[in-house]
Amino acid sequence: MRKLAKFVSLSLADMLILAFAATPAEAVPAFARQTGQACVACHVSFPELTPYGRMFKLSGYTIGQRQALPVAAMAQVGDTHVKDNKDDQGNAIVPKTDQLAFSAISLFLAGKATDNLGAFIQWTYNNLNVNDAGKTVGHSGSDNTDIRLVGRVENTDKTDVRWLYGATLHNNPTVQDVWNSTPAFGYPFTVPPNGIGPIAGTLVDGALAQQVAGMGGYVFWNRTVYAELSDYRTADGVFSWLRAGQDTHTPGGVLRLKGNNPYWRFAYNRDWGANSLMVGTYGLIADVYPDDTLPGTPTDRYTDVAVDAQYQYITDPNTVTAQATYIHEKQDYRASYPATLAGNPIGVGPTPANPRDTLRTAKLKLSYYYDHRYGATLAVFDTRGTLDSGLYGTGSVGGSNNGKPDSRGYIAELSYQPIQYLRLMLQYTGFDKFNGARRNYDGFGRTASDNNMLFLNAWFAF
Amino acid sequence: MKAIICAIAIVLSLSAAAAAAAESTATVQADQNAETLATHVCSNCHGAGGDSRSPTFPRLAAQQAPYIVAQIKAFRANTRGEQEAHDYMLGMVALFDDATAEALGRYFAKQPEPAGTPGDPKLMAEGRRLFAQGANVQGIPACATCHGADAHGNGIFPRLAGQHAPYVVKQLHAIQEQTRKSPVMHGIIKNLTPEQMNAVAVYLQSLS
Repeated sequence: MRKLAKFVSLSLADMLILAFAATPAEAVPAFARQTGQACVACHVSFPELTPYGRMFKLSGYTIGQRQALPVAAMAQVGDTHVKDNKDDQGNAIVPKTDQLAFSAISLFLAGKATDNLGAFIQWTYNNLNVNDAGKTVGHSGSDNTDIRLVGRVENTDKTDVRWLYGATLHNNPTVQDVWNSTPAFGYPFTVPPNGIGPIAGTLVDGALAQQVAGMGGYVFWNRTVYAELSDYRTADGVFSWLRAGQDTHTPGGVLRLKGNNPYWRFAYNRDWGANSLMVGTYGLIADVYPDDTLPGTPTDRYTDVAVDAQYQYITDPNTVTAQATYIHEKQDYRASYPATLAGNPIGVGPTPANPRDTLRTAKLKLSYYYDHRYGATLAVFDTRGTLDSGLYGTGSVGGSNNGKPDSRGYIAELSYQPIQYLRLMLQYTGFDKFNGARRNYDGFGRTASDNNMLFLNAWFAF
Repeated sequence: MKAIICAIAIVLSLSAAAAAAAESTATVQADQNAETLATHVCSNCHGAGGDSRSPTFPRLAAQQAPYIVAQIKAFRANTRGEQEAHDYMLGMVALFDDATAEALGRYFAKQPEPAGTPGDPKLMAEGRRLFAQGANVQGIPACATCHGADAHGNGIFPRLAGQHAPYVVKQLHAIQEQTRKSPVMHGIIKNLTPEQMNAVAVYLQSLS
């Protein structure tokens, strides 16, 4: 759940917190109880899925025996250190660093209802939520949700499923995807809840999480070709439970889509020996109201086109996995630009200096696990975009002095899973460039590496 | 009197026929259930028709039906103590009754034999010698004695032809270390070296 701040006007503290806030992802012992299998059957290391885990999800979470009480819970406790957590005035930037902090707990309703119907429904209490007044106040709300209705057609010799098809109702673009190269369940699987994040990100990369109702259909043919078409609309009316807990009253509190917005996903998958490879594409075309509280105004259009790939080599005791994705976003400020040019920006919406911008994000991650217990991961990320001082203005810590959204860096992570219900993790995030520059990126003398973070985390699932 | 005897005979015959028909119906139903189970669930790890791709999961295609039934019962009884048995199979087979287990045995037994994958010639030659002749010095009898000259198995003695080499090696270790309970096999392979395990596994994987 990463909400990007470039679309909205928030206080600096809000913006920084929200920009890097990530809700713990999928890891549901309720599924393990349903199948009677250990977590390693479905997860390389949660939430990354094995080939069987992907089939379990595509089968609508219906494999196994229905549980009378299909519930599970998850919690995270961590300690975040920011290299320089003082702004140019000497004030703390993000709260509760350098101390052990309980960050979030999630409850799940997850499992099969019938042989064709299953669900993954998550509700999360965020203990480090920062309110409008800049205070850290716990807050709960709907988190990742995916409800599926599935069907199967066997091949003629009755040895395998030839067509696995289904319909999904969910609340976060790509949360329904089964490869961990797409954003919702992509790396990093968890980040410091009180860390500092870059100013810019693409729409499909978490900006609509828990704000939309997604309805789609998919087919997986011969375990080889996957095709999905989904439609996203703002989760209001009968779908409002999908965004329960979101700030829909404050201008800029959420993003609001106009009408129906298409999403596609195509992937080629091949499993051989201990290897599994996927190469695919996904994307979204969305019309966004500049100010979510002013529906009826013209809209801006975001066109996200992405390619991604995943490779897994899973044996005992060695496992290697890699994911990559590249997202190209075309931002057409067909509403905000003329309004800004006329001196009448639409509410709290964007104030671009250009009629059209682009934003490109590349991510690459490589992991090694030994005995499903010890893990090491290295990831790099690189975001680049059009210089637009109207969108990316100067501001202490969160601003961009040169009007560029460019950020790049790396994440190095060590993990240890002594039991399947607990993962201990040490993660370091380093920024080589932040909001456009390496040095004095914000116009207040801050360097990109001042935002480097060390994160010690314990992740429980039970 | 004759009429009464005839009537009783007819009733008994009809009852026997009805019982046989019911049993046949139950078998047909179990076979259908097993086919669905194998196609929708087992295939996710064991591959289409039991011809798995990943060496983590054994090939079940053309496996001996009694062996499959015995292993399902062993998973249920927790006498297969290797970690994978617990992680992957214990919960799955807990849902099977005996009729389903037997039907799954029939289903996999009738599937086409998996194709062999040749490996290192030197290892295959050593493995063939071990399989066919055993190793007298170590007191290891020929594997072919029970598993058949072509390694197709016999009853509760499993088919090994075409099996993933890493899986065979892992099972030999599990039996040797007695995490997988198999007293007869344990006695036979207790002196088998890791190198010999690898050689015989490479040879078996090459067979079809």
